[in-house]
Amino acid sequence: MAQFIADRRDIEFVLHEQLQVEKLSKHERFAEFNKKTVDMIVNEARNLAVKEILPTQLLGDQEGCKFENGKVTVPESFHRAYEIIKEGEWVAMPESLEWGGQGMPMVVSLAASDYLVGANYAFMMYPGLTQGAGKLIEAFGTDKQKELFLKKMFTGEWTGTMLLTEPEAGSDVGALTTSAVKNSDGTYSISGSKIFISSGEHDLAENIIHPVLARIEGAPAGTKGISLFLVPKIWVNDDGSLGEFNDVVCTGIEEKMGIHGNVTCSISLGGKGECKGTLLGEENKGMRAMFLMMNEARLLVGLQGFTCASTAYMYAVNYARQRLQGKHLLKMRDENAPSVPIIQHPDVRRQLITMKAYVEGMRSLIYYVGMCEDNVKVEKSAKEKEKYQGIIDVLIPIAKGYVTDKAFEVCNHGLQIYGGYGYIKEYPLEQLVRDCRITMIYEGTNGIQAMDLLGRKLGLNKGKPVMDLLGEMQASIAAAREIEDLKELADLVQEAVNKLGEVGLHMGASAMSPDVMKAFAFAYPFMEVTGDIVMAWMLLWRATVAAHKLEKGARKKDAAFYEGQLKSAEFFVHSILPTTMGKCNAILTTNGAAVEIMEDSFGG
Amino acid sequence: MEILVCVKRVPDTSENEIEINKDGSDIERDDLVYSVNEWDNYAVEEAIQIRDNVGGSVTVVSVGDEDAEEVVRREMAMGADKGILLSDNAFEGSDGRGIANILKAEVEKGKYDLVLTGAQADDGAGQVGGMLAAMLDWPYASLVNSLEVVDDKTIKVGREIAGGNLEMNEIDLPCVLSIQTGINEPRYVGIRGIRKVASIDIPVHGAGDLGITPESVGESGAKVKRIDYFTPELGEGAEILEGSTDEIIEKLIELLKAKGGIK
Repeated sequence: MAQFIADRRDIEFVLHEQLQVEKLSKHERFAEFNKKTVDMIVNEARNLAVKEILPTQLLGDQEGCKFENGKVTVPESFHRAYEIIKEGEWVAMPESLEWGGQGMPMVVSLAASDYLVGANYAFMMYPGLTQGAGKLIEAFGTDKQKELFLKKMFTGEWTGTMLLTEPEAGSDVGALTTSAVKNSDGTYSISGSKIFISSGEHDLAENIIHPVLARIEGAPAGTKGISLFLVPKIWVNDDGSLGEFNDVVCTGIEEKMGIHGNVTCSISLGGKGECKGTLLGEENKGMRAMFLMMNEARLLVGLQGFTCASTAYMYAVNYARQRLQGKHLLKMRDENAPSVPIIQHPDVRRQLITMKAYVEGMRSLIYYVGMCEDNVKVEKSAKEKEKYQGIIDVLIPIAKGYVTDKAFEVCNHGLQIYGGYGYIKEYPLEQLVRDCRITMIYEGTNGIQAMDLLGRKLGLNKGKPVMDLLGEMQASIAAAREIEDLKELADLVQEAVNKLGEVGLHMGASAMSPDVMKAFAFAYPFMEVTGDIVMAWMLLWRATVAAHKLEKGARKKDAAFYEGQLKSAEFFVHSILPTTMGKCNAILTTNGAAVEIMEDSFGG
Repeated sequence: MEILVCVKRVPDTSENEIEINKDGSDIERDDLVYSVNEWDNYAVEEAIQIRDNVGGSVTVVSVGDEDAEEVVRREMAMGADKGILLSDNAFEGSDGRGIANILKAEVEKGKYDLVLTGAQADDGAGQVGGMLAAMLDWPYASLVNSLEVVDDKTIKVGREIAGGNLEMNEIDLPCVLSIQTGINEPRYVGIRGIRKVASIDIPVHGAGDLGITPESVGESGAKVKRIDYFTPELGEGAEILEGSTDEIIEKLIELLKAKGGIK
């Protein structure tokens, strides 16, 4: 039976066999999340995703969002789906119980989201952004702000957004010009124009709460003069009742390549001089607040891209099993030989196993980062907390930048497997490729992610987080070496990890030298090789778990699953990792052509 | 109103490729994904709605092995107040009458006004509800697709009749009803519901607790025995259309035209 969205067995494997999330329930904070509860949550998320959300994916793409007379309407089918998400309280799974969240471990919420987001991520951005905006209020809001907004947001009654980007302030947020002037009652009058605002205006909820980055009059230039404000679409009175319309006007929506179901708005604040906001956190500390929220936001974008890849793989592997085309390679000359399912052709298998290996590695990575977040919360010693936080910080550019790059590649392979049908709208891959593409751009382009890895993360705390991460990899390699059949793979991964250490040292030194421009021209390849080696680590870890299970004896289908884990690791280490080693050599050479070429020489 | 809903754990037909085992006695059950029988969800939803309207409580019961506990818990997360698992090695291999017998014993332990079952199970024969009513000597209505509580002694039920007709019946309580899909829209299980039932212990009642002699149920008590299990061969006149969706549609239209189905 064809599975949709994600392989159920693989999710169970990562949760229970690889990461053993039940360990978290030993801590008081997560005591109620035992295996039974975790399984029920993930099963019900799947049930809901397959029955109610997946059917909105194509409808949302076809219908898109409409902008008429200043009003935005979302695809019709989204209304029912949103009500169900709200009723089931799926909006703020890992957030605090006190404010309407569910207090769930992050790793479990990621597994549930694997299905929900995978079913239609354009739709899930409405609750997703609401959770993110709510988190800002929880972290930086006054008691009054929390009381007025938080519960309504975490329960999905109101939705949230994030207003950063302006026409001249995209990757360079510090260039923004939206202004804030303090009023005598303590509020601020906000005026400016924001663009590319996801979920900025719609008809799913009564009110929309916009965290807005703006510059208070007279504040310093650049990122040091940016403050964060809470600007509701409809003003919220002190008693919680709704007041006047707050002069937050959607002036247009974008026609995009993908995610048609999620509206992208241009928003004018205070066009009539009547937009008010309250300060969220401290004056001029807006960027700091953004940074604190950035890890989670980037992880979620990684998840969005990843779920496109996971879904693409499910479709492609099922299609390849059914689609009859061409004779078996070994019977090419036999005129009477029947057509075989295309899964029997070597080149299709190459693409399928490529997809499989990346999807598995990426799922493990994303859940692992979620588990580290949970460990930061439950670990008692400051040292351990710091260790996990460091690993998260280093892995975030990989979980966003590398994952979305590879996710797009996976979708592309999926489309290729469908052949001509992949390119037409009647089949699902065309949409997945389009939808996936934006994940490489927003929430910090993947180029920015690479610069973050090289410029900030590599040297963070004198390199301790990177060393801790390499230490975790070494531990997995040592465990794999214990198994005779995995020794060779373990040795090859060890070589790659050693090479990564060498490349890291070289890049760190180059970035601090007169060769800094050249170094940054290799930031992106550096992110890519780091990601490849993280994949190899995850796949080797999985193979180790699977080998132990096989040794103990597994049921028929389980045995096939575990054998599949061994093959994913074998394929990745023997067929992809060698090119990674080559790329490492290119980085070590750090050739300067890209930065030395004269601008005129680019031609055009 | 005190309501008991009988639910069953079945292989999820939307999640599994059902294969017949080697000796042709059953389906291959290793590695199957199980869930609650679809019809039973409607019965539980109906019970929850009645309770919410007129008060009382909803108890969910299932006969099965220890794994069946997960469907009882799931239906409690949906909103049922209590759950009971009826499990005993002696129950294994029961026929429909045996299952009805086990359920009857549980019904008699409580004071229920209404017992609901699904109209049938994915892997069942649609027989347990009727037998249970007969054994209890309670009134019974099958294929119920509407339900209205009149007072604490009577309910009114609508039944689906072949040909698209409906009939309305008044039934005295206590009674047994088998519930048809479409009677309501079963709610999804939310996270709050799951958290509520996460650490609840679900009582397990065995033959001894229920006062059942082991020989009267299970394989030894079964008078109906399955002797073969197979996929029938395709008969004459059946044709599976193959090709892309468009090709299939085209062929279907041709066929319908040729046979006079459309003009």
